[in-house]
Amino acid sequence: MTAPPAAVRDETVEVWDGRLRLHVKIAGEGPPLLFFHPLSGLAWDPLLGQLAGRYTVYAPEHPGTSPGDPHAISQVQTFWELLLVYQELARELGLDRPAAVGQQFGGMVAADLAATFPRLFSRLVLLSPAGLWLDDAPIPLMQMVAGPPEDMPKYLFAHPESQAARAAMALPADPELIPKAIAQSAWNLGCTTKFAWPIADHGLDRRLYRVQVPTLIVWGRQDALIPVAYAKEFGSRIAGSQVEVIDDCGHALQADQPERTWAAVSKFLAG
Amino acid sequence: MKISVAQQVPYRFMPDDFGDRGSSVVTAPYGVVDPGRMHESVFSAYAELMHAVRSGFDGIVVTEHSQSSYDISPNPTLLASAVAYAAQAEGLDPAIAILGRSLGKTREPLKIAEEYALLDCISGGRLIAGFPVGLSYDANLNASLPAIETRDRAREHRELILKAWTAPGPFPWNGRFEKYGQVNIWPRPIQQPHPPVWIPGTGSPGTLRDILRNDFAFVYLSWDGPKLVGRQVFDRYWDLAEEMGRDRNPYRLAFMQVAAVAETDERAEKEYASHLMALYHSGLGAIPGTAMAVPGYAEPAAIEAMLRGGGPDGMLARMRTATYKDIIDTQVAIVGSPATVADQIEAFVREFRIGTLLVMLQNGSMPRELTEKNISLFAAEVLPRLRPIWDAEGWENHWWPAARGATAAEGGATGGVACGAAGGVAAATGTEAR
Repeated sequence: MTAPPAAVRDETVEVWDGRLRLHVKIAGEGPPLLFFHPLSGLAWDPLLGQLAGRYTVYAPEHPGTSPGDPHAISQVQTFWELLLVYQELARELGLDRPAAVGQQFGGMVAADLAATFPRLFSRLVLLSPAGLWLDDAPIPLMQMVAGPPEDMPKYLFAHPESQAARAAMALPADPELIPKAIAQSAWNLGCTTKFAWPIADHGLDRRLYRVQVPTLIVWGRQDALIPVAYAKEFGSRIAGSQVEVIDDCGHALQADQPERTWAAVSKFLAG
Repeated sequence: MKISVAQQVPYRFMPDDFGDRGSSVVTAPYGVVDPGRMHESVFSAYAELMHAVRSGFDGIVVTEHSQSSYDISPNPTLLASAVAYAAQAEGLDPAIAILGRSLGKTREPLKIAEEYALLDCISGGRLIAGFPVGLSYDANLNASLPAIETRDRAREHRELILKAWTAPGPFPWNGRFEKYGQVNIWPRPIQQPHPPVWIPGTGSPGTLRDILRNDFAFVYLSWDGPKLVGRQVFDRYWDLAEEMGRDRNPYRLAFMQVAAVAETDERAEKEYASHLMALYHSGLGAIPGTAMAVPGYAEPAAIEAMLRGGGPDGMLARMRTATYKDIIDTQVAIVGSPATVADQIEAFVREFRIGTLLVMLQNGSMPRELTEKNISLFAAEVLPRLRPIWDAEGWENHWWPAARGATAAEGGATGGVACGAAGGVAAATGTEAR
């Protein structure tokens, strides 16, 4: 994981009747934007840096994934509770109709928040989101999470050998830090898959019609985790949404096609 | 000491290269199976258990694994039920240990309460109730339950089952994972207040404390090799027992050991080695390491400690490439003449204070005839040497089904114990069994 630059600050916000202290990474200036990270946890990658150039980015860490606080996850028992927790977080942070960007697992969270609380966000960006299921386009989430770590890149990247892909999968250079890093990565997956196992489907397909804000859906045409067929599914269920499919691109959009991903996201958010 | 035969149910006709072709669990390719040979594999397991019962072992032990090629026992209660009935019908009286229905895997914990209770009735109060959390691949991949909830689920299910056995009347259960309006199972166990509880585990301090706090028995399996991990696991157990004010009663500890006996050491190796290696290479050795710990199943501190070499460094992780010499040197399997096998087992039984031995005598591709020879030789020549080991210390075994009452014994002799005898048996067994 890439360490956040110094300009990123870490704030702790108490929610859930005092039972949960959510860690939020905050950076940048400008209108507020909430970022919801994927299954693997929050990594401050270049896309977040780009967003922080124009917005005040608030990136909460999923309960239990913050180093040193693994058991926070036990305070959130269901996906419904997770949505309530994030709605409270937006309120506690004093965010007035922030934009929301969610990736993969975080995309499912952001989409369901927008469907459940239609006036929570101003705009919504879904980066290859989870949350739907098609029998003829199965999502090998269980196979990826429970498979050997060396197989993970094949699900995530069209170009596993690219510098960005290798940076995303890199272990610490100091061997002394590697056991902690591996344990943290595994636990992060444990905390997020609690609400995405074995199939990330909480009935979002029946609620998506409630999304009322301008929405952009971005997908990589070669996505080997959540097939590109889901782009159309999300697009057809959210009235007025835009769908952008990027060629020569896998699941981790910003690693495989950073420029085109940023172009699509920045243009939509500015509009 | 008490000595039972433990039986897993492998498919015995695996191609030699099965372990190279894929996993032995979850995605194990069923195309290798011939239906007739599957019948032979499964039928032999039942027959061998009956042979063990007739040969004088104190009990039988079965385990649960779904979507597995090395233990085709998706519900061990079925296997145990057949043996319990057949044994009683012959006037035999073995303990029936299920190690057990996986509590972190089940979606129907009350079925376990009911099936165990029924088995206690069939056997006339001879059930030992095993309550394992369940392996990660079984709970999190086969049953597809979130890994991070496995232990909480198992804890709630154990509490519910014990309450279903002991509550006097219907009760509501509003748990986190299970909700029932009126729990009032029929039948309930004959043994009072409930059958003895054994907890199989890998020996983490948390599990051991839980076992000792509740006064259950701890069961450890030999896959990692007692030579490599025995000291670490069992010393920890007895140290914790002392710290928590529990006595050093050896019956608090059961151990499962693979053994193979022949007339001489040389003959034992010749007859058994290739069959044993089939288990290690195509069965246990072909379980992917990642399937044993789906992310969320183990705490981050435990993973970190394991990666830093703090956990038991046993053979299980190396089974795929283990040599026969590795298996023998580490005592993952003990193979030899009756004297060799008895000497080796007696030494670690005394060293680690093991009160109950669960001996696995069929492994891998061993055919029925050879297995029954192994059972017969062990029963005739090894068992008598091991049985009196703890007699001189005079401990009472609270973790074994209490002696049967006259009513049930007569029932058994005349063709089976009906549950109608429950009252008489319960009165006769008293309240010492746990």
